[in-house]
Amino acid sequence: MKKVFAVLALIFVATAAAWAAPGERYLHVRVDNARDGQKVRVNIPLSLAAQVIPAIDNGKLRDGKVRIGNFQANGVNVTQILAALKNAPDGEFVTVEQPGQNVRVAKKNGVLIVHVVNTKGEKENVDVTVPWAVAEALTSSANSHELNVEAAIQALENAGDMTLVTVTGDRQSVRIWIDSHNDDQ
Amino acid sequence: MILAAKIGLGLLGTALVAGGIVSSEGFVRVSVQEHRSGGTHIWLAAPAMAAPIALRLIPRRRLENAIDNAREWLPAATAAASELEKCPDGPLVEVTDRVEQVNVSKRDGSLVVDVNDPRETVHVAVPLGALGSSLRILAERATPR
Repeated sequence: MKKVFAVLALIFVATAAAWAAPGERYLHVRVDNARDGQKVRVNIPLSLAAQVIPAIDNGKLRDGKVRIGNFQANGVNVTQILAALKNAPDGEFVTVEQPGQNVRVAKKNGVLIVHVVNTKGEKENVDVTVPWAVAEALTSSANSHELNVEAAIQALENAGDMTLVTVTGDRQSVRIWIDSHNDDQ
Repeated sequence: MILAAKIGLGLLGTALVAGGIVSSEGFVRVSVQEHRSGGTHIWLAAPAMAAPIALRLIPRRRLENAIDNAREWLPAATAAASELEKCPDGPLVEVTDRVEQVNVSKRDGSLVVDVNDPRETVHVAVPLGALGSSLRILAERATPR
């Protein structure tokens, strides 16, 4: 009898685990424009993006990769820099302060953080948070003039819930994030 | 009398089976309601399975223009329809401003587009299965340039 209960309990646990398995992941974009009151909400299942992006063959996006002209500008190899940064301890790597704009690039808890503050003209704060796995996937193309969007989306599917981009300005605010909800709540 | 009843049952059965087959892929629904006084209200529901069949029957020269315009995006659109069919229901795109609302969502296996502006309210629902089949047929009929 005990064996039967044990088997039943095992089946119950396995079923519960299957139900609790991670479901669909979503990429959300929210844009609010204060000037004309326009609101844009986009909720894209990552699996949908993963299928559609490799199928696009238009302009600079082909085979799931975006061609970027100056990706390896002035002989700087971004892939090698990312590889070096991956093993570096947490900290602030680049700080550029100039009239009207401050840029800070840092690594914290395995995440690449870019913070830009524009104080000239339209005031705007931009925060970009990219998990290392995603940054590496983006630069994983053999061609250094390409960003591998398809690989980045696959990497995002394994990332936890997080905000990727926030832009807060006088006129509009933008938020891009990933989670498991099919709406923007 | 019994023969008539048998024929009647046969016809009814055939009609039911035909109805079941025709509606198996759902219906394309289009509704347009003009807001001006005396504005028209168009409501249309057509069996979705008719769309792929119609696309096969239309002569190629009549489709050429549409195919040429859509050629580059056909693989992506086909992949999107196919993948969206597997995704759970939910809102996909919502655009709202002071005068207009546009919603695109997946609901009950259909891609649903709702537009509400001061001039009219438009509702379109296209079953994703039929949409995918139609796009695949267009892709097959599109010869490479």
